[in-house]
Amino acid sequence: MKLRSHLLLLSIATAAPVVALATAIAIMVVKQERESLRDAAGERVVAVLSAIDAEVRGSIATLRALAASRQLEAGNLTAFHAEAKRVLDTHPDWITFTLAHPDGTRLADAAQAPGAATGGVVDRASFDAALVGTEPVVGRVVVGPAGRNLGIPLRVAVRGADGEPRFVVTVVLRPESFADVLREQRLPDGWVLNLLDNGGYVIARLPYVPAGTPATDGFRAQLQRSPQGWFRGKTLEGRDTYTPYSTSTLSGWTLGIAMPVEAVNAAAWRTLWALAALVLIASTVAVGLALIIGRRIARPIASLAAGVPEKTSIDEINALGAAVRERQGLIEREKAALQATDRAKDEFLAMLSHELRNPLAALSAAAHVIKLAPADADASVKARAVIERQTKHMARLVGDLLDISRVAMGKVALERERINLGEVVSNVAATWRASGRLERHQVSVRASPVWVDADRARMEQVFSNLLDNAIKFTPAGKRIIVGAAQEGDHAVLQVSDEGEGLAPELVDTAFGLFVQGERGLDRAAGGLGVGLALVKRLAELHGGSATAASAGRGKGATFTVTLPAVLPAATAAAPEQRAPVPTRRVLIVEDNDDTRQMMQEVLRFSGHDVRTARDGTSGLALAAEARPDVALIDIGLPDVDGYEVARRMRAAPGGRTIGLVAITGYGQAEDQRRAYEAGFDAHLTKPVAPERLKQVMAGLR
Amino acid sequence: MSEKQPKRLLVVDDDADMRLTLKLALEIAGYVVEVAANGREAVARQRESPCDVLITDIFMPDADGFEAIDAFRKQFPRTRIIVVSGGAQFTKRDYLPDAQLIGADATLQKPFDVDVLLRTLQQLF
Repeated sequence: MKLRSHLLLLSIATAAPVVALATAIAIMVVKQERESLRDAAGERVVAVLSAIDAEVRGSIATLRALAASRQLEAGNLTAFHAEAKRVLDTHPDWITFTLAHPDGTRLADAAQAPGAATGGVVDRASFDAALVGTEPVVGRVVVGPAGRNLGIPLRVAVRGADGEPRFVVTVVLRPESFADVLREQRLPDGWVLNLLDNGGYVIARLPYVPAGTPATDGFRAQLQRSPQGWFRGKTLEGRDTYTPYSTSTLSGWTLGIAMPVEAVNAAAWRTLWALAALVLIASTVAVGLALIIGRRIARPIASLAAGVPEKTSIDEINALGAAVRERQGLIEREKAALQATDRAKDEFLAMLSHELRNPLAALSAAAHVIKLAPADADASVKARAVIERQTKHMARLVGDLLDISRVAMGKVALERERINLGEVVSNVAATWRASGRLERHQVSVRASPVWVDADRARMEQVFSNLLDNAIKFTPAGKRIIVGAAQEGDHAVLQVSDEGEGLAPELVDTAFGLFVQGERGLDRAAGGLGVGLALVKRLAELHGGSATAASAGRGKGATFTVTLPAVLPAATAAAPEQRAPVPTRRVLIVEDNDDTRQMMQEVLRFSGHDVRTARDGTSGLALAAEARPDVALIDIGLPDVDGYEVARRMRAAPGGRTIGLVAITGYGQAEDQRRAYEAGFDAHLTKPVAPERLKQVMAGLR
Repeated sequence: MSEKQPKRLLVVDDDADMRLTLKLALEIAGYVVEVAANGREAVARQRESPCDVLITDIFMPDADGFEAIDAFRKQFPRTRIIVVSGGAQFTKRDYLPDAQLIGADATLQKPFDVDVLLRTLQQLF
């Protein structure tokens, strides 16, 4: 389901109780409206009824006054008649008056003087009631004796001193006079005012019906049930109405105000419609707002889902968009990294295949030669040498592979001890120089003593790999600077070159497994591309780190390994340091640049004062000037041979105590014998291993 | 193969042991073998003493095998060319067909049996 639909539902869910409440309120309002209308009408009924009562009460008061007339008491009927006629003139609401004997005989009325009167009693019930009590009695609407006028008798008995009735005085009320009271009410069209006598006959009605008309059956039935209240029913005209009514205790008359049902309901409907319209407007506004807000929320989310986030005013969605963009970037970077790793792995496998195929090809061809050539033939000897070399080469490749997998998985046991990192650097550099591997570059070693708690062989491997890397990516003749130094709490091993450098995107990945520099088809760089990965892992295993830095392509690179530095080893802990070699003045006479530089570095690092010469003649001159303690002399010098140089040094002043060390390229017993004969104290064979050089130096007096 | 005059071969490979063993094996088979460490050296050697067949690796420092093949095709069109390479799948691409495309007469993937090389040589003549 769409978000907008949800929001629409939300707004509907919010609106539903409101609508329900509104409906309940509407029903209540309608009911109340109806009741208040009815109550108002009821009050009106009471008010009109009391106005009518006031009229009746006025007539009753006058009637009482007449009944109490002294003329009547005295039996002077003629005087009473005259008196009563005068009163009648002031009462237009009276039709006539009568004076009757308790037996019902009419003694006089407005038109008949006493003695001349005829006629009996109309409405005997009220007459009899008047005879029973002393209070005036209101009769029913009746037709007078002449059969013309309708009137309502109001009677009272006049009693003698003995309490027996002597006369009954009656005034006949004119129904029309009550119609005037009703008319004053000014009711809306369609409303009906109905004044009934105590028998349910009309006294007066608006709209007009003749007095004496019986009320509707409904009204009469209602009157049987209760003297006051309301009912719903049809009027004489057949109109559906609500009728509140009330009955007067004074006259026993009933007044009803019939309100047309439509009029009552119309008011309620008006209220209901207004409420419904309000609810409808409110709901429409709510749903519309929900739709608008829904679109405002949904659109950015939808566009976010489509991958083209747009700016919105909703903070959460903006945050979501930012998060999505960030995740997207992250995923893309990770994807790129994964792809790069995958590519690197493929290239690594291709490389591995190539690197293994080459030695295999040589081995295969060598095997072929051995199969066909006689065992002692030169070809067989050479082929065997090839097999030996290539086997070693392959073993090294396989060893590298195993190493990287072991190191990568952390399955390497470190044999840690306190070692001098500077010494590791200078030793490895010296060994490489001796083997000629540094001859294509200008390699400078700047190693100062700095101690670390590390596996010596692994540290040599770290430095060798860095150096190997520098050589691979640095053109011949360029400089490579290697060094070790203490920086604060850290030992820093650094190899800087003037080589190809690293593209900025490669700086971070240079230590990745299988990552290799961009290589042309010529594979000048060679190797498996695992060296730097090993460096990083080994540095980390030692609690350190490895970083690469480069100013960019073609601008060289610097690889740095940082390890925690420790205090120098106690002298007892490092056997080589137990008998420190005393500082000596050393002279090296050697024409091979690599061998000379290597020995110079090793000896300088050990603390000796080293001078060098490239040939015998300058070597002898320097010896005479500098008076060295020890002289290292190459046998195969270009001008004077080493034996001759040694002999002359021995013969020179102070030459008896000088320590002389021969450096030969042959190492045959014959060479050694000749060296000792020439006055040498010790003998070193090329390539000179730094450890051996140190041993020899320590062995000299 | 001509009985009277042994064919002259030029083996070009940056790996000294590879050069050496091929030279030894091919000499036993009766060929006269010259060697070169790279394409440029091969062209120079060919100028001094022309060979009948060039046996070259593709991926080498300096001028690579492709350039050497190209140079031989232009300067010594009569020289037959055999390409041997271990880098058959270098960066997921098989370069040996490429070598054939630009004019190698035959290609061999390292490691190969020397007998196969000898048969290939015999088929060239």
